[in-house]
Amino acid sequence: MTSSREIEHIAASWLARRDGEHWNERDQRRLDAWLDASTAHRVAFVRLDAAWQQSGRLQALGAGWRTGGVPPRGSWATPRTGAAALAAPRPSPASRQHRSRPHARLLAVAASLLVIASLALGWHWYYGAVEQASYRTAIGELREVPLADGSVATLSSDSRIRVTWSRRERHVDLEQGEAFFSVAKDRARPFVVSADARRVIAVGTRFAVRRDATDLRVVVTQGLVRLESDSRPDGPHQATTLLPAGSVAIASDGGVVVHSGTVQQAQEYLSWRDGFVNFHDTPLATAVAEFNRYNQRKIVIADARVGAMRVGGHFRWSNTDAFVRLLTRGFPIKASPHGDTIVLSPR
Amino acid sequence: MDDSLNSWFAREILVHEGALMRYLRRSWFRREEVHDLRQEIYVRVYEAAARSRPTQPKSFMFTTARHLMTDRLRRERVVSIEAVGDIDALNVPVDEVTPDRRLDAHQELKRLADAFDRLPDRCREVVWLRRVEQLSQKQVAARMGISEKTVEKQIAKGARLIAQYVHGDRHTRRHTRAGEQETAIELGHDQ
Repeated sequence: MTSSREIEHIAASWLARRDGEHWNERDQRRLDAWLDASTAHRVAFVRLDAAWQQSGRLQALGAGWRTGGVPPRGSWATPRTGAAALAAPRPSPASRQHRSRPHARLLAVAASLLVIASLALGWHWYYGAVEQASYRTAIGELREVPLADGSVATLSSDSRIRVTWSRRERHVDLEQGEAFFSVAKDRARPFVVSADARRVIAVGTRFAVRRDATDLRVVVTQGLVRLESDSRPDGPHQATTLLPAGSVAIASDGGVVVHSGTVQQAQEYLSWRDGFVNFHDTPLATAVAEFNRYNQRKIVIADARVGAMRVGGHFRWSNTDAFVRLLTRGFPIKASPHGDTIVLSPR
Repeated sequence: MDDSLNSWFAREILVHEGALMRYLRRSWFRREEVHDLRQEIYVRVYEAAARSRPTQPKSFMFTTARHLMTDRLRRERVVSIEAVGDIDALNVPVDEVTPDRRLDAHQELKRLADAFDRLPDRCREVVWLRRVEQLSQKQVAARMGISEKTVEKQIAKGARLIAQYVHGDRHTRRHTRAGEQETAIELGHDQ
């Protein structure tokens, strides 16, 4: 069976061909036959056609932009009526020069002091930190943090980052938990996420980094990142690992394991951002640990046999109750509330 | 083609594509299937409307979506409990998920302009010359110094992307996320 995406592509090429000069009656009959063959074809075509018709209205916006050529992005659609507002008065450099002037000699001294100060500042500006900030989330909280360079960090539950911006580098210390980074491109200033002795380096890309005890997990959904570890004198030398989109890397004391899959597969590791957790044939102990990351009320496994059962599914991490209910329904498991915890034991 | 049905479909159904996609993405556990689900929902709605037009098109579409997902989940449940957790998510009242707001003419144009601005460079130029400057495909090819075949391909691409951006997929991530969080909390209370 043809997939919906393929159908959409075919519909688009019909539309484009019909839009051209060589369209004739025979083509029309063939298009009609294709449309009649399946409602799926028809709805795909109707959908594209409706959007294409609408795009004709671009003319209304384009009116007044008759300088030839395509207008730059974002500029041409500004309502012209707003022009007056845009021309708001701005202090001109000339008006500033009218301020009172100090004595010439004082000025010279001040200038030389200024040179020294600016050299120091410049050094500081280039090498030192220009901005530092910390962000954290409580258990069960997600937080999107816009950063000064246009990048965005999404903090998962119970996580902490410290951001240090310098001229050379955009540095984020992942002190605890997990964060997803959507990095603004800046070739001159790499974006570095570090956790203890490991560093994840990107230019402009999307990836998540997570700390679990001594392990570090990196999930890349766009672009390319570099994972580096400081080699320890006693340990094996850990080489730099390049991770393209679709990679899930786990760095532990034993080295780095990389799973290369599709971006979609990698994205499953990030469904926490949408409020979900995913399991595929996952030991219940692991699944429970995952739930506990996000919830104040913890699930406790009282028996190793229970912990070893395998579960699969897609769950809202905020809905511990639904998860536990499903477990007791589908497995020989009993759940009993115990203070602020839910204890799972065999039934 | 039944043009009145098609324009009904564009006017009453396709305008809600953004809301539908958000709903599907939130409710369905395999994102790669969302495109396919959408097609199947459209097919069902279109075929039903060919017999008689539903009086509440938007609710009808969401009901169709819900039925479709429930059917699929039931079929899957036989093999595993995979995804059962999602049935809960399906019970979110549609109107909470998608506050009904129609765009006014100005917003519609703005949305179209944004969609246009998101096109890749070459595609954007082709669409501009063809739709705004009203050049034929042949003239566009001559102006840009590319083949007619390439122009046609760029138009196909432009139509697909504009449809995607205009009908639905322009979700500002922050917005979506906030909405989903709310739903999660609501569900927590329900049970």
